[in-house]
Amino acid sequence: MKRNHREISGTTDYSCGSGSRADSSSIGNCIKEKLWEEDHDAGGMDELLAVLGYKVRSSDMADVAQKLEMLEMVMGIAQEDGISHLSSDTVHYNPSDLSGWVQSMLTELNGPPTPNLDPVLVNSDPTSSNPQHQKQNQSRVFNDDSEYDLRAIPGVAAYPPSNSEPDSESTRKRVKTSMSSSGSDGYGSDSFFPSPQENGIPGAVTEFSTRPVVLIDSQETGVRLVHTLMASAEAVQQDNLKLADALVKHIGLLAASQTGAMRKVATYFAEALARRIYRIFPQDSLDPSYTDILLMHFYETCPYLKFAHFTANQAILEAFATANRVHVIDFGLKQGMQWPALMQALALRPGGPPAFRLTGIGPPHPGNTDALQQVGWKLAQLAETIGIEFEFRGFVVNSLADMEAEMLEIRPLEVEVVAVNSVFELHRLLARPGWLDKVVSSIKAMKPKILTVVEQEANHNGPIFLDRFTEALHFYSSLFDSLEGSGVTPSSQDLAMSELYLGRQICNVVACEGMDRVERHEPLTQWRTRMETAGFSPVHLGSNAYKQANMLLALFAGGDGYRVEENNGCLTLGWHTRPLIATSAWRLGTTESGL
Amino acid sequence: MVQNHHRGCHHQDHQEIVRENKEKRPKFFINDHVDILIEILKRLDCRSLCVAASVCRLWCTIARNDSLWENLCFRHVSPPPSSLRSVVLALGGYKRLYMGCVRPVQSRLGRVRRASWARDEVQLSLSLFCVDYYERLGGGSSSNGRLVGESSPSSLMFLCKPVNV
Repeated sequence: MKRNHREISGTTDYSCGSGSRADSSSIGNCIKEKLWEEDHDAGGMDELLAVLGYKVRSSDMADVAQKLEMLEMVMGIAQEDGISHLSSDTVHYNPSDLSGWVQSMLTELNGPPTPNLDPVLVNSDPTSSNPQHQKQNQSRVFNDDSEYDLRAIPGVAAYPPSNSEPDSESTRKRVKTSMSSSGSDGYGSDSFFPSPQENGIPGAVTEFSTRPVVLIDSQETGVRLVHTLMASAEAVQQDNLKLADALVKHIGLLAASQTGAMRKVATYFAEALARRIYRIFPQDSLDPSYTDILLMHFYETCPYLKFAHFTANQAILEAFATANRVHVIDFGLKQGMQWPALMQALALRPGGPPAFRLTGIGPPHPGNTDALQQVGWKLAQLAETIGIEFEFRGFVVNSLADMEAEMLEIRPLEVEVVAVNSVFELHRLLARPGWLDKVVSSIKAMKPKILTVVEQEANHNGPIFLDRFTEALHFYSSLFDSLEGSGVTPSSQDLAMSELYLGRQICNVVACEGMDRVERHEPLTQWRTRMETAGFSPVHLGSNAYKQANMLLALFAGGDGYRVEENNGCLTLGWHTRPLIATSAWRLGTTESGL
Repeated sequence: MVQNHHRGCHHQDHQEIVRENKEKRPKFFINDHVDILIEILKRLDCRSLCVAASVCRLWCTIARNDSLWENLCFRHVSPPPSSLRSVVLALGGYKRLYMGCVRPVQSRLGRVRRASWARDEVQLSLSLFCVDYYERLGGGSSSNGRLVGESSPSSLMFLCKPVNV
């Protein structure tokens, strides 16, 4: 057993013999772990199991493993269905013959032995792809706890609380062993007789064995849904597009049985996967005014953007404490929702308001409507109302990298204090090499007193597609969950628009590649490293910002679900235990003496 | 008996005088003393003030006076800076500020409120109020951002929804 521990300790914390599971499951795991390592016990009995008193031939191991797994599945479901007495009353004939014992258990639970079950699961015929495939399946099972542990998805939507431990235990270990079968047309759980392909999908077995009726238990289906999503993504990763396509279609069916956030997330991810498979890439260059509308609805229905604005404003306000003329450069002006609150706070500053100058940067709008100027005009009206001297300038650029500091006409430091603000804009620059560095050097040329950065707290920019997919699934599940569960019931149109806003991001993360994939979110730690290597030093956001953020969230129903946390001077807003967006503030590390 | 007559006259006069005094001296009627009325209404809470507004036209007019609501907003907070009044009035007035922002903020934060938060609550309310004003500006100018027939946005919407506090 120790050999196993050492080998797998690096990859997963799911160690052999973890106490709370049923015995058969731990043995099942040990058996699978055995399959991992090069089988040094050629021929003869497996020595490790012999220690436990089971005589299993090494060559039989695969067979036994699969049978045990099936048994566990069946037992887990059986317990739910009230025939659990069977599992405890069964007489064990010759327990040292593990294979035979499992078979006897299976036949007793399943009634007359169905010839389909065995051959399918032992579909691992000695074809070249299969052992590798099996290993990969095994690896997925191993990685289950760390990456796919659905209980880690906070909230109820993604992983509804399961009553029976063994049930959840068994469902997690369902391995699709027949995935190598060709993309089939016989999919769908509407047939009662398990075709060879169908048996590859866990649960179809039990549906056949326990009742002649199709069981759709939504708890199970929820977990199955996630597994199918993951399987489809993995198939895409391996370029097995036929299989991926078949699985994606299956997702649609499973998603129909779900409700709420899980259904929506699954639908968006399935659509994104389908786009990736068929190479129908979504146009990113949609009318920006359309995306602005979606953004506005997102702003109104949930606190994420308000949190971002309020915390960034607080940092800027503190940086502007003694200045008489201030200049804010906003990298993504959009509708300018961030600035009224800042202007109001400046207007009521003890000692009177400074002169406020705003430079807004935005993408070109088709049709010659000068959107930036309109926003500027609105802000000017507000400024006049509350009595602030206001100056506005808008810059239309295709991307931030096209912007030069000289264009902005920065005035010298003694005259004007500069703040740079970027909300969800910097990650787009990672799509092309060199862009981020160019923008960072532009920022440095502006000599800001403070740079505020708000970014999503997620790792959607890893090199491997499957990792990105998993991360995105977790992230957007939490996000959708918070939209559902926050208790605020906005009109269905608002909610739908907010979800559409997020759905477009999902589509971009999953379906696009290369320069089109602009939603390259990176976690706070990575941004910190980037900023620090670029020569910025962090500015702590302080307790005022923290207090204000907490108060803001308390106003939202479901304020209990939202959580503000302080992370080394940065503030993050999350849903339950999962941080979702992070605000950080930076200043130039060198002195601002103009050198 | 002139004296008797006089006494009778006096008595009669006295009674008349008393009667006249009773007629001349009216009962105390609060509506005649608007300054006192204002002082009293100033100290009411929101609900009572709204009830008071339904009493009669005079009370209604007084209750709508913005200075009463200003008092209500800053009741638990140290006196606000003088510049605040012009700003708030320009943004829509204290009554609107109170009904739209301060009241929901105070009621929702009540369960977690600490004494020191009162000032911050007002600050937060002011920020939200300003954002709301800005959005209301949007009706005419930036109509490109709105679909036809869509209801006007309100970022204070989340405050209007009933909440299980």
